Amino acid sequence: MEIQMQDQDNVAVLSLSGRLDLASGATLKEQVKRLIEKNTIQIHLNLSEVEFINSSGLGALVSVMKEVRLQKGRLTLSNLASYVQEIFEITQLSHIFEIYSTEAEALATYQTVATR
Amino acid sequence: MPSYLFKYPSTGESHDLMLDDLFRSLNECKIDGSLQHAISVAVSEAFTNAVVHGNCEDSTKLVILRLEVNDQGITADIVDRGMGGLKQIDSRRPSGQLDEGGRGVDLIRHYADSCQFKETDDGGLQVTICFLNQGKHKYDLVLGSRRK
Repeated sequence: MEIQMQDQDNVAVLSLSGRLDLASGATLKEQVKRLIEKNTIQIHLNLSEVEFINSSGLGALVSVMKEVRLQKGRLTLSNLASYVQEIFEITQLSHIFEIYSTEAEALATYQTVATR
Repeated sequence: MPSYLFKYPSTGESHDLMLDDLFRSLNECKIDGSLQHAISVAVSEAFTNAVVHGNCEDSTKLVILRLEVNDQGITADIVDRGMGGLKQIDSRRPSGQLDEGGRGVDLIRHYADSCQFKETDDGGLQVTICFLNQGKHKYDLVLGSRRK
């Protein structure tokens, strides 16, 4: 799996591509841990290029979400392919994560929160 | 009708190799779309359990994947060489929403038409996952296409 990162108005946007499983999930957790150490606690994950996910990948996402929330931060997801969305629904994780159709839609919500 | 046999050391890297082999085999059998996705998730879950819980990531222990495609459907056997795997399966509890693990067996059961766990003669665990021809995925393996 590859992870590309960019900063969008104080939100770290991570674009994931490839397979999200046990090994790549560990890589993701490590990357988010480094962000949190630098006080970056607003994180968006664009999953548009994720071609496969299993329960280990889901576990990594849950772990990341818990770490971010522990720091009073926020984690959003977007661009889930239909088969990825399906797995979120089967496992009922779609009720736990903030999931948006597009990255722009997700990032706009950070702006809304910031201007309140 | 084709059958395949693969063996992998119990390491994290083996999962990617296994998926490559699995997708290639399924493509050879013209199994694609939602059925390919269902098989890949179910086999991936059983494989990860075998590597992590069964063989405890001991690279000297192999995980075997057997795949058979015939008129009845598709059967995948995933076999590890661990000890006590069946007890672990029997004693598992439902995962909580914020648990990081515990969803694998539920995903297998969701996607497969049937799933059986049995202890092998040397104490390992064999998981047999079946996708029946014209089962819940409504796939006709003889015609090689989804039913209308």
